[in-house]
Amino acid sequence: MPHGYNGKILHVDLTNRKFRVEEPGEVFYRKYMGGSALAMHYLLKEMPPGADPLSPENILVLALSVLTGAAISGQSRMTAAAKSPLTGAIGDSQGGGFFPAELKFAGFDAIVIKGKSEQPVYLWIKDGQYELRDASHLWGSITGETEATIKEELGDDKVEVLQIGPAGENGVRFAGILSMSNRANGRTGMGAVMGAKNLKAVAVRGKNRPSVADKAGLSKLAKWGATNLKESDIAGLAKYGTNETTGANQTSGTLPSYNYNSGVFDGWEPIDGTTMYDTVLRGAAEGKQDRLGRDTCYACTVRCKRVVEITEGPYRVDPHYGGPEYETTSTFGNYCNIDDLAAICKANEICNKYGMDTITCGATISWAFEAFNEGKLTLDDTDGLDLTWGNAESMVKLTEKIAKREGFGDILAEGSERAAKKIGRGTEAFLITCKGQEAPAHMARVKRSLAIIYATNPFGADHQSHEHDPAIEDDFEYYTDRMAILGFSEGQEPRLLSDEKIRFTAASQRLYSVMDSLNLCQFVYGPAWQLYGPADVVELVRTVTGWEDVTFEELQVVGERRVNMMRVFNAREGLDRKDDVLPQKLFNPLKGGASDGWKLDRTEVDSALDKYYEFCGWDIKTGNPTRVKLVELGLDWVADQLGL
Amino acid sequence: MEIHLQLYSILREKLPIDAKGGTVMQLDEGATLVDLINELDIKLKVIISVNGDHEPDKSRQLREGDHVKIFSSVSGG
Repeated sequence: MPHGYNGKILHVDLTNRKFRVEEPGEVFYRKYMGGSALAMHYLLKEMPPGADPLSPENILVLALSVLTGAAISGQSRMTAAAKSPLTGAIGDSQGGGFFPAELKFAGFDAIVIKGKSEQPVYLWIKDGQYELRDASHLWGSITGETEATIKEELGDDKVEVLQIGPAGENGVRFAGILSMSNRANGRTGMGAVMGAKNLKAVAVRGKNRPSVADKAGLSKLAKWGATNLKESDIAGLAKYGTNETTGANQTSGTLPSYNYNSGVFDGWEPIDGTTMYDTVLRGAAEGKQDRLGRDTCYACTVRCKRVVEITEGPYRVDPHYGGPEYETTSTFGNYCNIDDLAAICKANEICNKYGMDTITCGATISWAFEAFNEGKLTLDDTDGLDLTWGNAESMVKLTEKIAKREGFGDILAEGSERAAKKIGRGTEAFLITCKGQEAPAHMARVKRSLAIIYATNPFGADHQSHEHDPAIEDDFEYYTDRMAILGFSEGQEPRLLSDEKIRFTAASQRLYSVMDSLNLCQFVYGPAWQLYGPADVVELVRTVTGWEDVTFEELQVVGERRVNMMRVFNAREGLDRKDDVLPQKLFNPLKGGASDGWKLDRTEVDSALDKYYEFCGWDIKTGNPTRVKLVELGLDWVADQLGL
Repeated sequence: MEIHLQLYSILREKLPIDAKGGTVMQLDEGATLVDLINELDIKLKVIISVNGDHEPDKSRQLREGDHVKIFSSVSGG
């Protein structure tokens, strides 16, 4: 009897309406542990290279981990993975909430979805039983309506619903998958893949909680976190949200503004987390926002999620659709030079109603803003929308037009890279994409390890694939014990790409990679400022699974295995080092504030990439895994696929 | 000497709730940012601006009328 997981994977063939339940055994679970690594196993084994991401050949994997549903903070998360319609490379995204735990309790550790249904359907799973149900009446509905209708027709308000909105149906290339109408598997367009399969939703309900090997040990770990939260480095994030970092980034010149031309934005304070807490969180007017304006995921005591309610003015916001994270206030705010918090909250609401990634959506709009302000787009191009920097009204209107693929929104629904290619006129110079995915709000020109990750990450620019530079620079003294576990004993000079920092980039990437396989929240677990450190992650795996001999090194190998499998997936699609490139903009100097003049240097970045590939054990010329490395990771079959 | 202080996020709780993180503080002549941090009993890592400019050097001596902003800092997401 396994501890922590069900031992069952549900395979769904939508074309033939057939199901299969696989029971892969403990060796499989210990090798991949869940989430993204587990998903990669199926994508490499069962999907042919060269598949059109929006065709029935693409496979969508929804994967939990061996820890999902355990009674501790930061574990109720799920990976969605498939070939990305945005990048043409591997797609990968994690999201939280209550759906992940409920799917575990409903009897499965993952769902592997193939083919395409003839008609819109949704998958209903309850206590190990499963069926496809008609969703024709749900097609076209926004998330809140779909969720309510499914709960009503299943007669159970406690059903958890994972779904796409109209954007996913419309093939918006950065459509996300949402649960609770406000928790998103946002990045890389997994919602468009689901929409192309005519799968509107997955509804789950279950009462069978997998056993835990060491209940007392897990309880002790959970209580330690709850007790220490208030004195921890994430106490501010918990109460004031991820947006608490806006002011800090403004001060250090790392708040991407004017579509990444500057690291500072004069209008930062109206959109900062502290202002959000005081003004737009539900209950703020009565001082009750801690109770009414913060939400959480299953069993999590951190409660970092924002619940915004605005009842007056031009932008009224329904609290059902949550509230913006730091990334969202950045892309719709400082990226576009917009300091109207209500408008940003409205754009966030639209993204959650229609099911879109707020990062790519806002960043694609900021690309259009720059093109307009540089005279490359006119009112004729934009359906009459004035995209002068700071125009909040146009930003909100454009967000909705993208979701509906209306007019100019139809072009932007392809993402900024395809839009620039279609429009031309030199607008490629305004892109901030890596492998076709728009950069999140963390400044690689200052935090330079991000340049390596943005360039090489298999699913495009991403900010949650390694630990950022401050942990090994200015903040090193705060985390010496945790950093020692990761293998680092000396702080590094800020803004340099030393060999040690490149080694840190690769090592912390492996840790973040295993966390995306264990599906752990990266605010709650990590190598530095998070509530729990690396030793706690090992202890958590041990207490839940009963794998008494599990070590940190073993977990790092799982993380390394996942990254290597992703690189192989991309290699099958013809990608290699030539695709590990950064946008020209990052080599241009920033303007203003503490980062004025900072830019990346091509020679330095190229040299750093050499070192990074070397640390990864990859071929420096191609940037791809070698047979020796794959065999070392127990991935002989993957090496065979590549003909190595 | 007097300095104008603004604290953000969780650091606001170092001051009475009505202050919303803002106050005028009396410090000894020659006091540094380290002295200010110790006075406020701040143990979290912070990012500081003085008169609108980022100040990574916490040994900086403050002057009469300086405007100091202090932020807690994690990497967000």
